[in-house]
Amino acid sequence: MNQEANKSNSHASGDPSNPCPICLGPILQDSYLDKCFHKFCYNCIVQWTKVVARKHSSPPTSVKCPLCKTENFSILHGYDGSSFQRHYINRDFGYSFLLTRAHKYRLQCYYTEPGIVDDIFNVLWYWKSHKYLQPNHWLQSWLKREIQALIQEEDVDIILHHILGVIVTSLTRNDQKYHLKRPETKQEEFKALVSDAARRFLGARTDRFVNEVELFLASGLNIEAYDAVYMQRLGWSYPGVTSEASEGAAIQQTPLIPYLYIFDEDSDGPD
Amino acid sequence: MQASRARLFKEYKEVQREKTADPDIQLACDDSNIFKWTALIKGPSETPYEGGVFQLAFAVPEQYPLQPPQVRFLTKIFHPNVHFKTGEICLDILKNAWSPAWTLQSVCRAIIALMAHPEPDSPLNCDSGNLLRSGDIRGFQSMAKMYTRLAAMPKKG
Repeated sequence: MNQEANKSNSHASGDPSNPCPICLGPILQDSYLDKCFHKFCYNCIVQWTKVVARKHSSPPTSVKCPLCKTENFSILHGYDGSSFQRHYINRDFGYSFLLTRAHKYRLQCYYTEPGIVDDIFNVLWYWKSHKYLQPNHWLQSWLKREIQALIQEEDVDIILHHILGVIVTSLTRNDQKYHLKRPETKQEEFKALVSDAARRFLGARTDRFVNEVELFLASGLNIEAYDAVYMQRLGWSYPGVTSEASEGAAIQQTPLIPYLYIFDEDSDGPD
Repeated sequence: MQASRARLFKEYKEVQREKTADPDIQLACDDSNIFKWTALIKGPSETPYEGGVFQLAFAVPEQYPLQPPQVRFLTKIFHPNVHFKTGEICLDILKNAWSPAWTLQSVCRAIIALMAHPEPDSPLNCDSGNLLRSGDIRGFQSMAKMYTRLAAMPKKG
């Protein structure tokens, strides 16, 4: 088999003191059960969930840990320091949502200092010039990718439509008094509404997310053009042109080292 | 298939390395077939099996460790959960409750625990189960002790 390939892309493999409980060999492609966090080879634990599934007429959506019998609902794997993948038990067999290169690039953006493209897109002008009244045709696709990258799930339609709805209604309010408000007030109101809508899904990343939404809207660019500008500023290579096939190489060659992201629940608003 | 071979080889090395780790269990692999194993286990103390040495035969399936090994007693034993004629063992971890984290060594330990704690409510040996269920502990123990002496102890003289 392609053991060599497996070895090269697994992290911290070959620790003989802590073998996989299933094959008793060094762990290949570290994978954790989501509740008890016991560690196995990816292939070993997936094989085991398949064996368990075959014993039932309708495959269960959980698997008992072979070590401690705790019920687990997913396998976490592919942790690369900033993101991981989640394989739900029997909910999407043989298929789990893989972040594409473009998703990874967006996720990495959240590990960079904010304000990196602020001088290119004039956010305040967006509010002053009433540009927000023009519909943005790319917003839905852009938001979908953004939310998928942040919560690492493929099916984000419910969250997407909730947040999109809040954004669109807050931008297209047909209310005379609203248009007379100062641009700064409109901006603040917009940000407050969108963060309220997004916070329960995105947690500590909400504030940054709202800023990114605003930047994208203010840019007036389509997704490809926006990505190109953003990546040029970051000094990264452009993701759109590469096909999924070369995804393996991904964005890991980036010179940028992500700084520790601190989930600070107290940073909810200005004090 | 290769996975089961590799895993059994790991267990073999572990058994060789820790031969003296558990004095109650002696596991050995068939010289020519890594899917066939035998074990000698000591009857647990303070049971009618004390002093006896019991031989187990393991047949390991190719899907091991995703499927449990088949284990049976080669030595005759009077126990509610062991078939008196075939030596078949009724033990949940060898059936539904199997987990791939078990090893041949730990299966032996589970069988020793079963010898010390019979489950008379799911009997393979009904005579033995009925004695325990009717509360005739003495009758059960003397039968079990007799078979231990007859079948699991070296013949005198």
